[in-house]
Amino acid sequence: MKALHVPVALALGVLASAAAAQVNPQTLPSEGPLAIGSPIPLADTHMKSVDGHDVSIGSVAGKKGTLVLFVCNHCPWVRMWQDRFARIGNDAVKRGIGVIAVNSNDPEVFPGDAYGPMKGKAKSWGVKFPYVMDERSDVGRAFGATHTPEAFLFGADGKLVYHGAVDDNAHDANAVEHAWLRDAVDAVADGKAVPVAETKAMGCGIKLRAKTSSGT
Amino acid sequence: MRFIVPAVLLAALVTSAGAAPRAAPRSRAARAALPRIVPIDARGIQALAARPGARVTLVNVWATWCIPCRREFPGLLRVARARSAHGLRLVLVSSDFPEQWPAARRFLAAHGVSGTSWVKNESDMPFIDALDRRWTGALPATFVYDGAGHLAAFWEGVREEAVIAAAVDSVLSRSPEEEHP
Repeated sequence: MKALHVPVALALGVLASAAAAQVNPQTLPSEGPLAIGSPIPLADTHMKSVDGHDVSIGSVAGKKGTLVLFVCNHCPWVRMWQDRFARIGNDAVKRGIGVIAVNSNDPEVFPGDAYGPMKGKAKSWGVKFPYVMDERSDVGRAFGATHTPEAFLFGADGKLVYHGAVDDNAHDANAVEHAWLRDAVDAVADGKAVPVAETKAMGCGIKLRAKTSSGT
Repeated sequence: MRFIVPAVLLAALVTSAGAAPRAAPRSRAARAALPRIVPIDARGIQALAARPGARVTLVNVWATWCIPCRREFPGLLRVARARSAHGLRLVLVSSDFPEQWPAARRFLAAHGVSGTSWVKNESDMPFIDALDRRWTGALPATFVYDGAGHLAAFWEGVREEAVIAAAVDSVLSRSPEEEHP
């Protein structure tokens, strides 16, 4: 028989804690983020924009491509990048790429991410594209979006060509070495292949609303 | 029954955590007593996890401006504190920017964390992918290593205290033969 390696009290703690929760510590969103090459999910789902109109991703899609930005009001990382993603998005619109910013956070968890404050945020960002409330978090769930800010760029054929961060330096715009999203938008606008398709950066975890039976 | 690591050795290795948040110290002397934060990259974290002297290393990447991180912190510390004598090494890695480092130290002190803590000093993408390619970058992120420094569990986002405890306990309940086959 193997020797016991933990005190009885700890062993009991194992049982108690295991019983207290269905444990799958390796848990991540089971389907993960949208894979490169995927079509736009839930393109026809209507979401309320800060101007009061219902907007879908499909309704803003551009001839050259579509950029979906998952952002929110409260996140400090969004604040660090806001000038950059606003400028990139506004430039993309001018170049024939449809842009939409989506807030999938549950305001019950993050009160600052309620619809009301979104209006002021959109104004302060100076965005020329809609900022919408994903009111059941279905769109965020369908994209596998996990944090803000997180960008998904689709090409003219509606297939995902870039997923990831704005750039490699949230802290200092002047120290950016890799302007990933800017480069990807420029490539799509020029009808070229994006130089880097998938990138990562830290951000605020998105708290999706609980999945409902009528949701996706 | 036998204990694998003497508690006295563990006490020196494990970051200590107090019972409850308390007011952050404000005097010069008190500020000097704030926890040290030492720069670290992903390889440094993995080297710490593989260092002898602990049977499990619990790594939590957090930030003072991350609301979910702050919510998770007390439960995480309770799990660590309850198991420090059983071989748990706690490695808290702040991803705050330099201007937030004083706030990070005050936050740690307010939660009773003393001794050395760490702060990320590497670009996000190599840091994230080196620790686990499944990590999307969302905070908080937690990693559980066994005594040999092998990653046993990883998750991103907040977990309940019981879930963290179960993940740690599943490693602590392993025999050394399982960790060093």
